[in-house]
Amino acid sequence: MIIKKIKTTAKDLLTDGSVSLIIGYGINGPGDVTPVFIKDPDDVEKLVWNDQCYYNLIRYLSDRDFIEQNNGSIGIIIKGCDQKSLKVLLSESQVNRDKIKVIGVTCKGLMDSDGNVLAKCEACDVVYPDKDFCDVIIGEEVKKKEKEKDFSDIDEIDSMDLPDRKKFWDNFFERCLRCYACRNICPLCYCKECIMDQHNPQWVLPSASVVGNRLFHIVRAYHLTGRCVDCGECERVCPIGMPLRKINRKIIKVVKERFDFESGKDQEQKSPLTRYRENDSEDFII
Amino acid sequence: MSRSHFDSGEKVKKKLKIIGFLCNWCSYAGADLAGTSRLQYPADIRIIRVPCSGRMNPLLVLKCLQEGADGVLVSGCHPGDCHYQEGNYYVRRRMLILKNLLEYFGIDKRRFHMSWVSASEGAKWADVVKKVVEDVRDACEEEVKTAG
Ligand code: SF4
Ligand code: SF4
Ligand code: FES
Repeated sequence: MIIKKIKTTAKDLLTDGSVSLIIGYGINGPGDVTPVFIKDPDDVEKLVWNDQCYYNLIRYLSDRDFIEQNNGSIGIIIKGCDQKSLKVLLSESQVNRDKIKVIGVTCKGLMDSDGNVLAKCEACDVVYPDKDFCDVIIGEEVKKKEKEKDFSDIDEIDSMDLPDRKKFWDNFFERCLRCYACRNICPLCYCKECIMDQHNPQWVLPSASVVGNRLFHIVRAYHLTGRCVDCGECERVCPIGMPLRKINRKIIKVVKERFDFESGKDQEQKSPLTRYRENDSEDFII
Repeated sequence: MSRSHFDSGEKVKKKLKIIGFLCNWCSYAGADLAGTSRLQYPADIRIIRVPCSGRMNPLLVLKCLQEGADGVLVSGCHPGDCHYQEGNYYVRRRMLILKNLLEYFGIDKRRFHMSWVSASEGAKWADVVKKVVEDVRDACEEEVKTAG
């Protein structure tokens, strides 16, 4: 049983002192899976594992204040999609790999409350976390699904007429509350001072207007160019149902097509914006 | 906040406001040459000199559009000719993403351009400006039309 192994692994790591904290999933009530922080080996009973472990716990590793408060070693439970964001953080030297113990768990796909597999899980290709990357792997080995990336959701928007496309997005920009939940949940949005919060100079209009919101969403997505791993957390937490994955995936598509790059695969490779090829296509230049 | 093309419905002005970011070593010198050679080109562009096109942060472009510019042009040295060797290679990638994103959100791609103009290409500079002004005007007109 996966959960049994998670508990014993967590207990062992805590008792032999190799970690002082385990970040995993616990339960708050029916259908309410939430992150838990376990310091006492006897508390491992609080850990759960099911198809509602939505949170990308890597978010905590990019929070420097949190890391400082827990300056011992941290054990963290990850799914395949979480592994990708951890690799991006490592590529950007944001995490000290020696200080964390990665417990990778085989994931068969998360379900929404109606019992449907999440769209991001349909698109995911790391059901089974990498053996040579994780310290411990729990769950049977599953063969990777080698499938062509499907960007039909993006093509659909691309094929709209310009005014329709503008209307499609403005309809959402009218409703975005600027609560910044999408930014705050993202494991890769770790700047101490976000450009959105800067007032002098003020780059982006802070009011929740269409103009300000459009710019906010351009900048938010842009900053994740070649970094976003499509973990889907931003879209999950948005209170107004903004299709944020459709924005992120547009860039993922362009980056794949133009720069032949996929984020979260190789921890040695940084965002393609930090590199270039002399023969990069320049069909857009006049 | 000034009206920006980000909220359409405005009448197309006779004179457009297009911001040109030109790198110091090539495009700015090219534009200068166009001037000293007395070449004619539309006066709808305002030039801001940057040390290198690689200095361009996409925010500069976005800020212009947010504050009401009708269009933006970024111009640098030809690939291989950058005074700092590689600034224009980086910015080429950056601006490609920006252009795609703008278009994806329904901002006419004719509003944002990029060009390579060397110090000796005064005539090319004049042509680039003509083309950009034409494109931006078309984009503005179309937007007013479709906004009804
Ligand atoms: S979470 Fe949704 S409503 Fe909040 S800022 Fe992001 S897009 Fe806007
Ligand atoms: S932008 Fe959204 S999908 Fe991409 S890494 Fe951040 S939270 Fe995950
Ligand atoms: S100096 Fe002209 S592009 Fe770098």
